[in-house]
Amino acid sequence: MRGGFPGGVHPSEKKELTAESPIKPGPAVKQAAVLLSQHTGAICKPAVKEGESVQAGQVVGDSDAFISAPVHSPIDGKVALITLQSHPVIGRAPAVIIVPDAVNPAKRPQPKPQERFPLDLDIEKYTPQQITTAARKAGIVGLGGAGFPTAVKLEPNPEKPKDFLIINGCECEPYITCDYRVMLEWTNQVITGIRLARKATGHPKTIVAIEDNKPKAVEALGNALKRAPGCKDINVIELKTKYPQGGERQLIKSVLDRFVPTGGIPPMIGVVVLNVATAAAIADAVMFDSPLTHRVVTVTGEAIARPGNYYVAIGTPVKELIDFCGGVTQPSAKVVIGGPMMGIAIADLSTPVTKTTGAVTVLTKEQIGTVKFTRRQTPCIHCGRCLQVCPERLNPTRIAHAVKNNLMDIAQSYFINACIECGCCSYICPANIELTGLIRTGKIYLARQKKLMPS
Amino acid sequence: MLSKLTVSFSPHIGGPYSTRRIMGDVIIALVPAMLAGLYFFRGYALILIPTCVLSCVVTEWLCNLIRQREKPLESLGDLSAVITGIILALSLPPAIPYWAAIIGSVFAVAVGKMVFGGLGANVFNPAMVGRAFLTASFGILMTTWTAPATIDTGLPKVSANRPDAMTQATPLGWSKQAIKTRAAQPQDTAGPAVFVNAQLKNLFIGSTAGCLGETSKAAILLGAVYLLIRQVMNWRIPLAVLLSTFVFGSIGYLANHTAYISPLAHLVTGGILFGAFFIATDPVTAPLTNKGAWLFGAGIGALTILIRVVGEYPEGVMYSVLIMNGFTPLIDRLCKVIPVGGKPNV
Repeated sequence: MRGGFPGGVHPSEKKELTAESPIKPGPAVKQAAVLLSQHTGAICKPAVKEGESVQAGQVVGDSDAFISAPVHSPIDGKVALITLQSHPVIGRAPAVIIVPDAVNPAKRPQPKPQERFPLDLDIEKYTPQQITTAARKAGIVGLGGAGFPTAVKLEPNPEKPKDFLIINGCECEPYITCDYRVMLEWTNQVITGIRLARKATGHPKTIVAIEDNKPKAVEALGNALKRAPGCKDINVIELKTKYPQGGERQLIKSVLDRFVPTGGIPPMIGVVVLNVATAAAIADAVMFDSPLTHRVVTVTGEAIARPGNYYVAIGTPVKELIDFCGGVTQPSAKVVIGGPMMGIAIADLSTPVTKTTGAVTVLTKEQIGTVKFTRRQTPCIHCGRCLQVCPERLNPTRIAHAVKNNLMDIAQSYFINACIECGCCSYICPANIELTGLIRTGKIYLARQKKLMPS
Repeated sequence: MLSKLTVSFSPHIGGPYSTRRIMGDVIIALVPAMLAGLYFFRGYALILIPTCVLSCVVTEWLCNLIRQREKPLESLGDLSAVITGIILALSLPPAIPYWAAIIGSVFAVAVGKMVFGGLGANVFNPAMVGRAFLTASFGILMTTWTAPATIDTGLPKVSANRPDAMTQATPLGWSKQAIKTRAAQPQDTAGPAVFVNAQLKNLFIGSTAGCLGETSKAAILLGAVYLLIRQVMNWRIPLAVLLSTFVFGSIGYLANHTAYISPLAHLVTGGILFGAFFIATDPVTAPLTNKGAWLFGAGIGALTILIRVVGEYPEGVMYSVLIMNGFTPLIDRLCKVIPVGGKPNV
């Protein structure tokens, strides 16, 4: 076990709700809303016109920008509309609405059988350039949540050679189990993806990191790696279960005992971090030219009638997904895209699933906690718990109160932009202050200021 | 059942902490000290503690009424007024008249806390503000020490001009006496300082004159262990206070051990233990950062010894805590935390 990272919290995991639920086909698509911005970087421009027929896997949006990723249609159908659609992260974004030619409830999305991903695949036939291009063409982005275009990460950079490739199987968010099921059931596909990613990045030292609350996944990946050719030197390491262990910066600290510079990105210290589901998507894209049009989504929460992990078409509205799981059995207070720590609460249930949607979590009033539900904040008593749990070692209370009083220069002097928005400070705060919310608000203010006053 | 959805920032779940729970833990941790006070000072404790608590709570409520708070009773729920009352009571001489205790409590909450805007906004520890006010206003009452009910009657009296059999000088009074008379005291005879050093066991258990709750170090340590287990306080503060008291207390003792009491005696006399664990750790008035906590605690220890040894008062915990409270904003500014990734290159 490695040293770990400073701070962190231990929210109750609640993974038992869906951990033993195998990946099942999701609902048949009645209407897919493919958002044109599902990633970090430039928003795509629509590549199709209203009324045009599209096929499954056809590009419906693309961009010339370097940091961007195309989006594809998950189904055969017709473009009904190109319009603004509610977006889980940025509020509203343009989307291509696709209606299938014929709704067939029996035609549910099926993942490829694992036999098609042989462990002993000869990866010599793929050049690094081919792998990177395939990842770009398939529109693969980081499926863990940040959505950074994977091709940009894989791209060989002669100035900054990559020393380490870390495969992130931590899944530290409570409730979510989609990566866990992918590691257990799509083991071969994940391994193939890891081998291809390693080749594309120039054979760096590769480490698979998994939290120690998933011993089965550690075993499955470890055994498969022993059998895969040329993977003897890839180690699977167990990390302490602590939120946010799966955060890129925290993971690098835990695994390599290195800090990514504040304001920097992992490639600056020669590290690439890929999520396990992203690795699986790379295998699919390189071997079969399949674009990223489906992903595994955990639909969970005590209120959901049949919680589980589903293979879902990207663009499926959240409402359909919840109905497909039998709806809710008790009054619910929040529908969260993602987990309860970093997920985004939505008001509009027609919000579609995106590439970065790992889970839909339905929370009841009791789970949120009555105090948090009524958002009754009491004065800060300077107890310093937020400082103790901050994994980036910031001073959340000072930053948040500076933002509250519109003192952005003070917020900046306390390094507001180094915040990773993990939510540990809000979680621990005895006064129930929305520290993370205030800090995020401050970051948005600053970004707007910068736009208004270009330097 | 999926209507009326709440939308808010993440995270959507909260931890088990609440201000009330933290304050409740502190109250539980103060129980051993209260019981010890009850055991050693009997009826005095029975009157003093409820008087202070009640007047603190009522004062906060009245202040809320004056401030026209929508729910004047709501802020009482955080239990901070109760703690102020208990700590004030435990740091008063047992025989202080009830009206003086009420005046102190009212001043503590009204001027020490509410004028700043209530919990979280006060600069100084409210209980210590109240005590300082009483010390300034009723000097005699605040230095009249009652012998505990369990006292060993064989103990010598230092001051012959105090005929009252019920009063007794505190160990720190003896210590002061020793320092003041050190020129007249021959080096080899047993003076008051040597006598204090010999009383370590009694001092630890609490069978000595002193403030209501600070005499029994054993009871205070019991409460402190509870606080540590529940992770209620920043352990660096008490550790820094005690270490610095020990270090600075050693200086005089190493120079002249008949005139100055030993550093261990410094730790078990007066309010230093109580102050270290229950007063200095008041989160509102202590620094936020760990580095700041060390500095803050060290300052309290050093100032306490300075007042005890050089100053006019025999005891200095109250003043050193108040002085360091004043420095807290500066310490926080001095000891900024640096992000793990280092300062960003701007």
